[in-house]
Amino acid sequence: MKKCLLLACALLATAHAQTTVKINGYGGTDPAVVGDLINRFVKPALAKDKITVVYEPLQGDYNKSLTTLLAAGTAGDVFYLPAETLDGFVATGKVMPLNGLVNTSPFIKSLNTAFTRNGRLYGVAKDFNTLTLVYNKDLFDEAGVKYPDNTDTWATLQTKLTTLKQKLGPDYAGICLQPNWDRFGAFAFATGWTQFDSKGKTNLADPRFAEAFNFYTGLARNKVGIQPSEVSEGWTGGCLKTGKVAVGIEGNWVVNFLRDNAPNLKFGTALMPKNTKTAKRGNFLYTVGWAINSGTKNRAAALKVLNILTSPQVQQYVLEQGLAIPSRTALTNNAYFKKTDPGAVNSRLVFDGADDGNVRAFTFGPQGTDWSKPINEALAAVLSGQKSAADALKKAQADMNAFQSR
Amino acid sequence: MQRRQTSTAWLFLAPFLITVAVFFFYAFARAAYYSVTDFNLFNTPRVIGLKPYADVLGDPSFRRALGNSLVFAVVTTTLQTVGALLMAVALNRRLRGLPFFRAAWYMPSITSSVVITLIFLWLFQRRGVANYLITQAQASAPLTLTFLLTLIGAQVVQVLLERRRALPAGWFDPALGVTSALLAVLVTAALAWTGVISAREVPPFDYQYFADKWITLGGVRVLSIPLLVVVIQNTFTTIPTLMLFFLAGLQNIPAALYEAAEIDGATPWQQLTRVTVPMLRPVTFYVITVGLIGTMQMFDQVAVIGSAAPGETLITLAYYVYANTFKAGAAPVNMASAAAILLAALILAMVAAQRRFFPSEAP
Repeated sequence: MKKCLLLACALLATAHAQTTVKINGYGGTDPAVVGDLINRFVKPALAKDKITVVYEPLQGDYNKSLTTLLAAGTAGDVFYLPAETLDGFVATGKVMPLNGLVNTSPFIKSLNTAFTRNGRLYGVAKDFNTLTLVYNKDLFDEAGVKYPDNTDTWATLQTKLTTLKQKLGPDYAGICLQPNWDRFGAFAFATGWTQFDSKGKTNLADPRFAEAFNFYTGLARNKVGIQPSEVSEGWTGGCLKTGKVAVGIEGNWVVNFLRDNAPNLKFGTALMPKNTKTAKRGNFLYTVGWAINSGTKNRAAALKVLNILTSPQVQQYVLEQGLAIPSRTALTNNAYFKKTDPGAVNSRLVFDGADDGNVRAFTFGPQGTDWSKPINEALAAVLSGQKSAADALKKAQADMNAFQSR
Repeated sequence: MQRRQTSTAWLFLAPFLITVAVFFFYAFARAAYYSVTDFNLFNTPRVIGLKPYADVLGDPSFRRALGNSLVFAVVTTTLQTVGALLMAVALNRRLRGLPFFRAAWYMPSITSSVVITLIFLWLFQRRGVANYLITQAQASAPLTLTFLLTLIGAQVVQVLLERRRALPAGWFDPALGVTSALLAVLVTAALAWTGVISAREVPPFDYQYFADKWITLGGVRVLSIPLLVVVIQNTFTTIPTLMLFFLAGLQNIPAALYEAAEIDGATPWQQLTRVTVPMLRPVTFYVITVGLIGTMQMFDQVAVIGSAAPGETLITLAYYVYANTFKAGAAPVNMASAAAILLAALILAMVAAQRRFFPSEAP
């Protein structure tokens, strides 16, 4: 009896010493990927520390679910922090600043900037994406037009697209344009326009913004540029899939999509075109970081887990599996990037896009995703021919002022 | 004994009262309080007065949501009330297989609105069933037209022949109608067979129902096409439930009234407008009230359609409240609360106006 009691006490003590670190992240394919990473890398490294790691995916709308969990105090110790919603989460005070706790120097600088607010770093980039021009080689060959390349400016690209459209006729289009900030914004950045001024206000009346807006919507003239809905698709990748649209502006995610949905489509990738005046490209950094819950009771353990998940071994594995573009600078010379298949070329250019020209994080500022609404509405109105660019921009600025004065 | 009965009554009422107290009165009081604070889900609320109300009223999204909700409520309530009344009158007769029809008509009401919304999204896609049927109708127009013209012609000839023989034949006589229809089918088939007429080649009808398209009145955007689809769907799914209320009301109208009307020579239309409708006034009042509240709070269809249609075309007040509460991180919950209070005030005002101007008692 005494032995039994002692054994029970010992078991209890062991159980007590065991720390559990809960990770919140996306659903979909992520549970399998992160589960694999945990089994391969995290578990062996933490075997001695008596730390158990569990991955709890949040299905559906990740941001909304995470908000609810944080407000209720039941969120994970470590969680995915999308850069585009960073400000909203920082404002909750529930994200722990990581300055002095992690070494950020091995990571791409613009990615660290994406997770920094007022000098405080709130996340370490897990992986990232940028935009590139993905084009249908067959359509360019058929029209006898040169492929888009890394030297293209807005003007040369426009000429190529217009010629292609003229040669191929009404059933084909040059480029697919989503009426959204999340693609158009890259063009605005190329002009040197900034999303927020020193007072945090947005100026859509800036001539540089208007220049990008006029170029983007101007492509819709003569149907050189079309919206995805015009070919019954919901996004640019869908446009490319139809084989009727020559160019799409997408990130690395389009590669697997095309492989599965349009296996016969021969595609190539080029960097975003340079603005004719500034000779600079604009680009977005779409990135998700690892962050730590400021209310965690397992701070040290959570930090250990975060450091393992961003280690060189894990990043190498992620890249080789073709899962995403990892965030360490050292990967520039990786053998994978020297391959010549379309997928690897795309990955290389997406990686290069992270520090070429005016690259900004994909974010909406402290007031959240509604920030982009006036711009999206203006783009939709002009691309569908309902308004002139000048009228649409005027209304967008008025709506933006009302939104930002709240 | 009296005291024991009272406490038993309280005991039985308790679950309901507690639920109402917690999920209605407490929640309502919290919302009212948050609507005058700077609450964002994470901070300690601080009272800032009526600023959230001013912010909400100055928000173009809110004004659109208000417009959409009001138009949706008025159009849908009218359509579903009239539809439910007509359906109830039709199903109140002694017909063969009546229970089947009553059950069949009730099906849309018991199906989940999420499922029905998904079906409607599918029906009204750009390459959906709605556009397909319109294309088919356009393609087969020559055949349809031939059929209809022959049908009308044959019916006219038959009726005139009957009348010449001094027989009382009506223009819509069903027996003659069947003969005319058969003849029309034969003629159309013969003409199609000999190649005189055939289906036309038409390009596929290509209308985008879930796009930024509006029905305007004097330049003002009144009703968007995506919202019109939701109106059709909502009318379709709510009519059966409301029809049940009318059916119950119809059972209570004394048959003697109809007999008297018939003796006085009233036509079926006169019976409907002079007897049925006035006698159903209390039920109608209830149906309209329930309809207005339900339509003003419409949310699920908008949430399911989500980004398939441009936000402004579908946003309603209930959806506005939701969208401002569940965001990424800190959210303007004070504005959402203010909008919710405004929505509640609006519904109360509408019901009060209805009570004031439309009597709920039968004459």
